[in-house]
Amino acid sequence: MGKRFSYGGDAAGGPRKRAKVVHEAPTSEEVHASRQLRQLLVFDQDPARSRHGLQSLKLYLDELLSTDGGIKSERAKILRNYLDSEKPAEDGENPVYLPDIMHTWSHAGQTNNDNLMSAVPVVLVLLLRLLSQSLETVPYGLGICRTLLIKEFQQLISRNLTADKGKSFVISPTLRLLREAVSFDGGTIARPLFRARATMLKSLARNMGIVHMGEDKEDTKRPSARTNAIQFFLAAIKYLHPEAKKELLSQRDIVSALTRDVKQDPPYVLKELLVGLKNHIIMDDKVPREAKSNLLNTSTLVRLSALYQYRLDSPAEDEPSIADMAHELLLAVCTNPACGVLRQDAGFYPREIDPNTTIPRAELDDLGLEAVAWMNKFKTEVPIRNFTLSNFLPNLRPWSSVKQSELITSIFKVAPELVANYFINNKSFTFEPKLSATWIGYAAFLFDTVILPIPENLCRGPNVPELPPPTSIVLDNVLPLPLNQKALVRCLEHKSNMIKFFATRILVVAIEKLDAVITIYQDPSHTNKSIWNEAARRLVDEFCQRAPGIRNMITACQKIPTEDLLHREAASRLLRLCYEVLPQATLSAKLDVSAHLDAVLGRISNQELEDPRDFALGLKELESLLAIAGYSPGMRWFGASKGTTLSPFTQLLKICVEAPKGVSLEAMKQVLNFVAVEQQLVPGHAGHPGLLPLIEALQSSSKYASQAWPFLDNCLTQCASKSVKYVEMLQDIAQEIAESTSQNIDGPLVSPIILAIRDQLPHASKNGGEEVLKALGRILPSYLGLSVTVGESRPILSLIFSKMVSDLPDPKGKLAKAGVPERLEFQHNSWSSSKPKSEKKAVDTQDAATLATNIDQETLEGMLHVPDSLEAENSALMKWANKTADELVDEGYATSLIALLASEHASIRKEALVSILKVADKIKQSQYEENEQVWLLLSELAETAKDNINNGPLPSTIVAFASHALHIVRDPLHGLYPKVNIFLTRGPYWSLDKLPLVDEILTEEPNVGDAFYTQISWLLTYLIDGLRSASDLELYHKKRSRGPILERILALAVNPYMRLPLRTQVLRLLYRASSIEGGSTTLTTRFSVMNWLEERRSACADSSEAAVYDGLRRRIWETCDQQRVTEWSKNGLP
Amino acid sequence: MSSSLEPQQQQKSQKQIDAKFTSYYLQRATQEFGEALDAVRSADDFKPDSSIAVLISALQQGTGMFSEEDKRAVICSEGAVRSSK
Repeated sequence: MGKRFSYGGDAAGGPRKRAKVVHEAPTSEEVHASRQLRQLLVFDQDPARSRHGLQSLKLYLDELLSTDGGIKSERAKILRNYLDSEKPAEDGENPVYLPDIMHTWSHAGQTNNDNLMSAVPVVLVLLLRLLSQSLETVPYGLGICRTLLIKEFQQLISRNLTADKGKSFVISPTLRLLREAVSFDGGTIARPLFRARATMLKSLARNMGIVHMGEDKEDTKRPSARTNAIQFFLAAIKYLHPEAKKELLSQRDIVSALTRDVKQDPPYVLKELLVGLKNHIIMDDKVPREAKSNLLNTSTLVRLSALYQYRLDSPAEDEPSIADMAHELLLAVCTNPACGVLRQDAGFYPREIDPNTTIPRAELDDLGLEAVAWMNKFKTEVPIRNFTLSNFLPNLRPWSSVKQSELITSIFKVAPELVANYFINNKSFTFEPKLSATWIGYAAFLFDTVILPIPENLCRGPNVPELPPPTSIVLDNVLPLPLNQKALVRCLEHKSNMIKFFATRILVVAIEKLDAVITIYQDPSHTNKSIWNEAARRLVDEFCQRAPGIRNMITACQKIPTEDLLHREAASRLLRLCYEVLPQATLSAKLDVSAHLDAVLGRISNQELEDPRDFALGLKELESLLAIAGYSPGMRWFGASKGTTLSPFTQLLKICVEAPKGVSLEAMKQVLNFVAVEQQLVPGHAGHPGLLPLIEALQSSSKYASQAWPFLDNCLTQCASKSVKYVEMLQDIAQEIAESTSQNIDGPLVSPIILAIRDQLPHASKNGGEEVLKALGRILPSYLGLSVTVGESRPILSLIFSKMVSDLPDPKGKLAKAGVPERLEFQHNSWSSSKPKSEKKAVDTQDAATLATNIDQETLEGMLHVPDSLEAENSALMKWANKTADELVDEGYATSLIALLASEHASIRKEALVSILKVADKIKQSQYEENEQVWLLLSELAETAKDNINNGPLPSTIVAFASHALHIVRDPLHGLYPKVNIFLTRGPYWSLDKLPLVDEILTEEPNVGDAFYTQISWLLTYLIDGLRSASDLELYHKKRSRGPILERILALAVNPYMRLPLRTQVLRLLYRASSIEGGSTTLTTRFSVMNWLEERRSACADSSEAAVYDGLRRRIWETCDQQRVTEWSKNGLP
Repeated sequence: MSSSLEPQQQQKSQKQIDAKFTSYYLQRATQEFGEALDAVRSADDFKPDSSIAVLISALQQGTGMFSEEDKRAVICSEGAVRSSK
């Protein structure tokens, strides 16, 4: 504001100045008799005398209020006598109490005497306070309150309330008077007072805006008009009935003024305000919901949220601050539907859609998820029900305040529809990594958002709806929009380990949530199973597109310093989750799990971690790596790697033996037993405790165990590599005993590892000399004794032991004499509790049983049906023309053209051929990085198609190969890149009756170490896509030098290391074949697929997988030529 | 697992375990990311009255990723003794 100019000394010539208001202090005298009081207060035209009387009364009342006893005190007798003498007649219609004072007030109104207009309410306030102290005087007080309701005095009140803003000395006492009146005698006259709201509430909103001015804090003894107005409002809502409150809250100006200046209010007023609003409106069940909504609109919420920054209070230690109180209030308001703000939403389903819409079966079958019109509709906008909250949330700053973050996530929890909506509307705040408090706050907020529970049944309703929710909304809840691939990759590549750690943690919880969502999607109770399965696949695909690739995660994991245990634990857990939840995504992983495991095993077994808690945390990392090793067929369990002396298996065994007591080792023991059974170190039948007797024997002789590790490592490795030798050796011993004792000993009753130890014992001294033999002299009796205890054959073990003794140091023959110790106590938990856990993805037994009996063709279709990827629209012929080389290759235009070579119409095929040649040429001329390779592929395809273009569609195998090879030639890092290029340089055209690359992949070594299964995955996808017609099927069962393709694929699936996703791909190929005319008959009569399925079923431990084999068997039977098959099988089938 | 625990450890209430685990987690986190935390403290947007609470809360969140059983395994190994060296 500009400085005011002085207009010179001549005031008359200048603009008129406001007359200065001078408050002359009134005179007073001490009151000592009721008669004197009456004389003092008797109406007098002279305002000075009236003020004198009122001021004397005020001082007298102040004195009484501060005296013990108040109205009951001796000194108050004067007042009581005065009031008795002034009492109006009871029979009057509207008796006027305190007629003299009221007369003075009326007169002051007529003469515009502000001092008196203010002085009367001042004394009335004090008088009412005093009268409320005794039941005897309450009726008198009520009389005064009723007097105020007389029209004449209502007008005076109204006039005071509407006084100029500068006259707070008039407004404030009047507001105080109203407050006393409305709350007098427990709100007895609140109702009639509210009826007179036209005058009583006059200018209340305006008066709420008259705030304290000046730099100092507001004096509690001289509260501002705003403070008085708020206190009157709070008193009113305390005593008014619900309907009146509703009416009051419908006055927008009052509601708005109530919180407008809340940031400047003194702490005590704010406390009263927050408590009053909470107790008398928000938590009052009788106040209608819409009334609460009127108060709690977006701007009220925003203003209350400004109190998070309130710093004018200094609460005691055990007292909540204003910010805390505001937080509590906002939490209650925003998360309790009874408070009028929160509306019931439908979880992941946005407003306006009906998730139970009936879509015709045929449409669903034809179009799949595309039949659901709204499925892709909500990527940029999500219609919601909670408008108020949606508008409120962007005003909060979750990254800079823990409480604000808590408020938002609490709101998300009760209104999940807002998650996607919030991030779509707040795109400006990115997750771009920066080592700052704001980024960390934002990361913490996003973490809290991701760990929010999934809405019950996805829709917060009693049942899961018919149709799945829009994928984009679910994805935004699992991995909110700011967590995009670019930002997350940058986080994982950031030089700060803390940023990597935060990103890793978020990804861990996101994948866990994705897993939980998929479990709901795959619930067998869905009616439209195929739609839900498709939605689950799409969700996983889109998640993989938004999340960083497995390679980024592996690289980030490899760079973590060895001593960062928390970080390593989180990173290994992330990799494990990828293997468990996103197995397809990990096919491209090049993780050398052996090396990782070696490092961790080395660190733990060398006891580098001094703090046992660090040790336990290290074991958590180890557990994750062991799980990954279980998923990785390339894991080398036996044979020490460079720089280590023991194999991973022995190191793990050593850790179990040497671990501090109290540390949980269950997971490790499970892995040890799993590998031991798989490698035939121990018998695999149920009831046998596996390696546990060995572990217990080593633990009980722990001081000797350290000497024996190299020897044991050698025995374990020998046993794993020559298991047949030891099984045969066992049979020989059994035979030996049978012959000598005429006892018949059946079955594998002794662990082969014991035979390996026996076998290697003569060479033990090479692995450490006499010390080792001495150690073994302690360990082996105990081990064999425990083996007897757990049920292994005593005669065999005794025989083995007698042979062992000759190699052990036993100068006095004690060992030989004692033999295998008897009745050793085996302390480990029973074998049953240590059984390897079934794969995480497997459904539990009960569900599996249900699935096994209930799997129907629809479910089977959902699992095994793969849409025809070579079905392209003819419009592809036009669409490519204006596209760049990048777009042609990367966005699928070239693939669509390739697919048209399989069209039934010659004209389409010809046009496609011409277009492919043009595309090839265009790409060759472009700057596209892999232009040569792509050109070569397309040219060879064109060359292959050219001569046969009139003879009918190109075999789907060729078309599918070309489509899938195109993805490889554009990515030099792909494991198949060398093979495809060698194939392309071999000749200018391809043989139509051969399936390119099948031999190379199935029989040759992979170019990159562990890429065999990645290549098999690619091959199976291409083989499935290439099988579309009866003529294609001929190519699959045609006799070839290495056998028909289908036969080789069926043999491949028997590989025990092949994991579920790849096994399922083989079943999809069979399913595809069964969809072709005559396919099932061919499968049955040429490949005995029914027997194959039967055999696979019996070999599979997981009942849900077994159910799929059964389902496929039924389908093949239902779709084959049953008569022919029955004849062929000589009535052996079905 | 319970059989391998000392009786007094079994008696530890989950609340105590949670508190001890959180304290251990924070101690490890500050040890592993000490340098980064110092850098954050000197960042422009660091406000002593609110940012410290944000930092602590952010670091502490990770405890939620551990099951009660995991926490117990870590904390109860505190008094563990190595069986051999």
